Amino acid sequence: MFKWEKLGKIFDPRDYKNESWMQEFAQSPSVLIFERHVRVYFCSRPAPAPDGQYLSFLSYIDLDRENLLKIVNICKKPILSLGAYGTFDEFGTNPVSVIRDQDDVRVYYAGWTRCESVPFNAAIGLAISHDGGDTFARLGEGPVLSCSPDEPFLLGSPRIRKYGEKWYLYYISGKEWLRTDGKPEPVYKIRMASSEDGINWVKFGKDLIENKLGEHECQACPDVIFHDGKYHMFFSYRNSHNYKSKEGGYRIGYASSVDMTNWERCDEVAGMSVSESGWDSEMVSYPHVFILDGATYMFYQGNAMGRAGIGLARLESPQNWSGV
Amino acid sequence: MGKIFDPTEHTLPNNCVEFAQAPQALVISDRVRVYFSTRERDSVGKYLSHIAFVDFDKSMQNIIDISKHTVIELGELGCFDEHGIFPFNVVRDGDRVLAYTAGWNRKVSVSVDASIGLAISHDDGLTFQKYGNGPIMTASLNEPFLIGDAFVALYGGLYHMWYICGTKWKKFVESDPPERVYKIAHATSEDGINWRRDGRQIIVDRLNADECQALPTVFHRDGKYHMYFCYRQAYGFRKQSSNAYRIGYAYSDDLINWERDDSKAGIDVSKDGWDSQMQCYPHAFQLDGKNYMLYNGDEFGRLGFGLAVLDEKE
Repeated sequence: MFKWEKLGKIFDPRDYKNESWMQEFAQSPSVLIFERHVRVYFCSRPAPAPDGQYLSFLSYIDLDRENLLKIVNICKKPILSLGAYGTFDEFGTNPVSVIRDQDDVRVYYAGWTRCESVPFNAAIGLAISHDGGDTFARLGEGPVLSCSPDEPFLLGSPRIRKYGEKWYLYYISGKEWLRTDGKPEPVYKIRMASSEDGINWVKFGKDLIENKLGEHECQACPDVIFHDGKYHMFFSYRNSHNYKSKEGGYRIGYASSVDMTNWERCDEVAGMSVSESGWDSEMVSYPHVFILDGATYMFYQGNAMGRAGIGLARLESPQNWSGV
Repeated sequence: MGKIFDPTEHTLPNNCVEFAQAPQALVISDRVRVYFSTRERDSVGKYLSHIAFVDFDKSMQNIIDISKHTVIELGELGCFDEHGIFPFNVVRDGDRVLAYTAGWNRKVSVSVDASIGLAISHDDGLTFQKYGNGPIMTASLNEPFLIGDAFVALYGGLYHMWYICGTKWKKFVESDPPERVYKIAHATSEDGINWRRDGRQIIVDRLNADECQALPTVFHRDGKYHMYFCYRQAYGFRKQSSNAYRIGYAYSDDLINWERDDSKAGIDVSKDGWDSQMQCYPHAFQLDGKNYMLYNGDEFGRLGFGLAVLDEKE
């Protein structure tokens, strides 16, 4: 089992006098490592519109590489504008995953649109930075990964990886919209695609992770890291209903694989649970695990789906993951 | 040959009362089955487009049957084809019939989006089963929305699809909702399911850069490929006849490069009557050695469709 030492909350936009587009929420942390600092990309939101609906923008903070608890810079404006009329990312860009590609930096993100019968739909977009990750431009007005016969809606939660010469995208796909007394609620599962160039994708076409909470379990944020000869996935999962409470809210699960297609789920191993009290006492979700200067860290978001910001944990044990 | 079908003169399934849009033909042993999109009003008063068909005898003069059941279900909650299927392109493929649907779903900032789905029939087109709940062709990097109007044909063992893709939503008048612009494009496939496309506009604009091009239909005759389609202005096209749909024409030797020449279309709005304000949604098919074209007239086909036959002397 993994044993994590929680280092506390790192960033909460509500603690700062920020621009109007960064009022609350820090969701889906994803890191890019620089010589002197660690840039953490995440998704933040302005205050909701009068109808209660939110937009979501891509943002970053820079942390001192020597001391990850110290914020040295906060981006002044979103790194990507929202999409034009009728495009897939007109109403939000969230979550986000970032990767270096030679001299460029790529962000893969879920773009949000609003619909009539269901509240929203999503597809996965790609934007590229030629200035080291400060500003980004869309590769095209449309998505790089969108719905298909057995993935009918809600493609989101991308995590981009490159192993050898091949690109891998772990993401979620909607299965079903459940009718409720209020708004319909989606069910979504973790999936995978591969690519030679990170642009044209071949979908694997199967759910990767077996359900633990039944058929209507929602699975998100498949964060994969290769270490000690195995692929390790930390992800989030929750019930499809009552998920805004502590009882039904997001938890962090874990699965491992030797071939990236067959995954063994074992949530008990994840070792990351809610705290007794404080900012992550009701939910922990959207894990992002990375290795820096000989230590392994996990960024994650806390209560209210990250409204309360993001925090950091450091792995205490084990040192070798092959037996996990 | 004039108007051959008026939906208000028949009882249609799914509580549909008006519209017979985008007629498309499947030639069967003793009849020609013409699929079309017809409409019901839903609980909020908006339209839902459903597919129905009418069977003609081979003279195309007499109606011998009309669909009494649901030909294909609309999509489930949140699916691309939840709010309508229009149009419905049928193509024979061995002993099955493939249908390429354009599925519609309603949105908030713009009125709708569309994607292309596939359905398969094993009973000569009486009923169709969907190939998955999602589309086979939808928005992609350079085709951001409104993918529809598929027309599929097999040439040289390869499936060819002509379709339309949206290029922009544009506000022409600040107080009006945005209007869409879409163009004709081309895709190819080995299996009719997985398609390659490059997002290239294959038919040059004639009106202006905001010209809307729709419903391509292609046939091969006398060593050339011929395409009919319809086109209109992006704004003011509903009420003003001069901005409304007309039928255009292009030809090609290689299925790649198309020469547009609307003057050779050989069909234009009538002086008066059912197709005097607009003509749209052409569908060419061959029957007993003759080339026919089904199409809609005024009000996008609210009161039915007509038929024209190619004059062999020309």
